[in-house]
Formats: sequence, C-alpha cells, structure tokens
Amino acid sequence: MSDSARHPELEGLLAHLLDKGTWLASAVIAVGLLLTGAGNVGTSLVRLGIALFIGLPILRVVVMMIVFWRDRDYRFGMIALFVLSVIGLGALCATYLGISLH
Amino acid sequence: MASGIFIVPLLTVCGISLHKAVAASIVSVIACSCSGAAPFLKLGLTNVRIALVLEMATTLGALSGVFLSGVLPATALLLLFAAILLLSARQMLARRREQVVAEEASLQDWATALRLHSTYPDAALGRDIPYRVKRVPLGLALMYAAGLISALLGIGSGVLKIPAMDSALRLPIKVSSATSNFMIGVTAAASGVAYFALGAIDPAIAGPVALGSVIGAIIGARFLMAVSGDRLRVFFVVVLVLLAGQMLLSAFGIHFGAHT
Repeated sequence: MSDSARHPELEGLLAHLLDKGTWLASAVIAVGLLLTGAGNVGTSLVRLGIALFIGLPILRVVVMMIVFWRDRDYRFGMIALFVLSVIGLGALCATYLGISLH
Repeated sequence: MASGIFIVPLLTVCGISLHKAVAASIVSVIACSCSGAAPFLKLGLTNVRIALVLEMATTLGALSGVFLSGVLPATALLLLFAAILLLSARQMLARRREQVVAEEASLQDWATALRLHSTYPDAALGRDIPYRVKRVPLGLALMYAAGLISALLGIGSGVLKIPAMDSALRLPIKVSSATSNFMIGVTAAASGVAYFALGAIDPAIAGPVALGSVIGAIIGARFLMAVSGDRLRVFFVVVLVLLAGQMLLSAFGIHFGAHT
C-alpha cells in the first residue's frame, strides 16, 4: 500500500458513482427529449440532464477530496480542493464577468 | 475513443455555429468519459492519484481556453481544429509503443514525493506489474496545453494527453489510456460549467448529442471487438483527413451543406 498509488476502496466508489450518474443523467435527457413536444417541461428536463452530466465529474472530485481527507492524506485533499476551486473560479468569472462568445 | 473530434465538424457541417458546436460537444465529451470510466476503475488500470495531480493543470488550461475562445476569431479556431484532426490521423497511423527506458534511481523527484508510482494488473501474465512515474513537471505543462485545446475546440484532447502520458510520464499504455479517459471528464466539466453559466449550451443540440454518444459508446465497444483493428484505423484516418479538409475549407470561407 505505502509504495503504490492504488486505492481499491476509492476506485470502487468512483466506478459506482460514475456508472450510476451516467445512467441517471442519460435517463433524464431521454425523458426530456420524449417530452419536447409537450412544451417547456421537456427542455427543462434536458437542461437538468446536461447539468447532471457536468456535475458528475465535479462530484467525483468532491468524493476524492473527502476520502483523501479522511485518510489524513492532506496534500491530496488540498490538491482536490485546488481543482474544485479552479472549476468554481471558471463558473464565477463566466457568471459575473460574462465574457462574450461571439 | 475520441468522439468530440467528430462531433464538432459534423455539427458545423449541419450549419450550427462553431461556438455552439464546441459547447454542445463538451457535454458529450463528459458523458463519454463518465460512461467509460467504471470498467477501467474496477480493473485497477486508472491511477487516480496521477489523474488528480494532472487535473490541476488541465482545469487551469480549460479556463484559459474558455477565455481565449471569446477572443480568438473563428478562422483561427477552424485552422487549429484542422491541425488537431491531422495530428490525430497521424497518431492513429503510428502504433503506440511501450517506452522502455533505463531505470534511474532518483528518489527526490515529484512522483515519489506525491506517491504516484503504482502497479497495474496484467491479465496475460496474471500478476501485478509495477511502474514508476517520470517527469511530472513536463507532464503538467503538456496537460495545461491539453486542457486549453479541449475547452477551445470541445474535444477530449486525448490526442495530446496520450503522448504526454506515454512519453513524458512513461506510463504503461493501458494505465495512460484509462487515466486519460478518467481525467477528460473533469477537464471538460471545468469548461462545461463556464459554458453553461454563459448560456452557450443549447439543450436542443447538446441533449441529443450527449445521449447519442453514450449509446454510441456502448454499441461502439461491442462493434470494435468484431472488426479488424487495421481496417478500422484506415477508416478513421480517412474520416479525420476528410474532416480536416472540410475545416480548412470553411476556415477560408468555403462552405458545403446547410448555411446558417
């Protein structure tokens, strides 16, 4: 363990999260697409499914942060926090600075 | 398998603007990464520690890419896209080879300090193979570039990540494929969040494309087993070169297909 980067518990947890998350987000998008004829509900569901997909890898980093912190692997807990901060910074800049895309 | 690299050119042929196509493609890049990650993780091929360390660089690169995409003219993006397509075609022609280097016993390097060295299971040999990770700072620099290109063009940037991991970090091929796929999701999520907040993601385009690529990945994985690898490579090389030609033409203002 001490000389290897392997972490079977964390790997299993992440596999489970990404697998179930993919199914959930895909199902929400599929239902939304089927309902697109029925007005705004369909589009809102598709948007929710897209948000779920974008949120899934972020949640994956959160899980890694919690597990590393629990293991007292503070350096990797901080690395995970750094990655989350960069993602958060991007969202903040996009929301408040509103760079134009055209 | 890279899907974003096909999605953006195909959407632009359908008359969708490059920025909308890039934003929609980012969602399906995330979807493909998430849907493909579990088997690699369960097999123990993904090095989650290396992934997290390199994600510091890819997410910073992705942020830079989002900001650059607002500044760069469409022509520059199309030219860059054509270059990446041609690079992918060349990479597909050249077989990846395991890099063999003499073991240098430096214990003061980053990889040792961060405890990145690991083992992976080899099915043929039936045992765990140890490997050591090299040149982490170079890997970080290359990953920043990969993240930037990913956000700018709406692709997974496997074409840049794989050589960075094979040649700079000297990871075994199976480990670098699994770890690259795992990282692509977070990299694309960093730009995806920003594009989502900017309102650049059109659900009517991104929804069907994301769902289609998850289904496509499931069918594709079965189909790939049944088809000869060499024939498939030739097919992909031809498609990549054709798409590169199409991107070059539209960079110079010549359009085929639907007009906006």
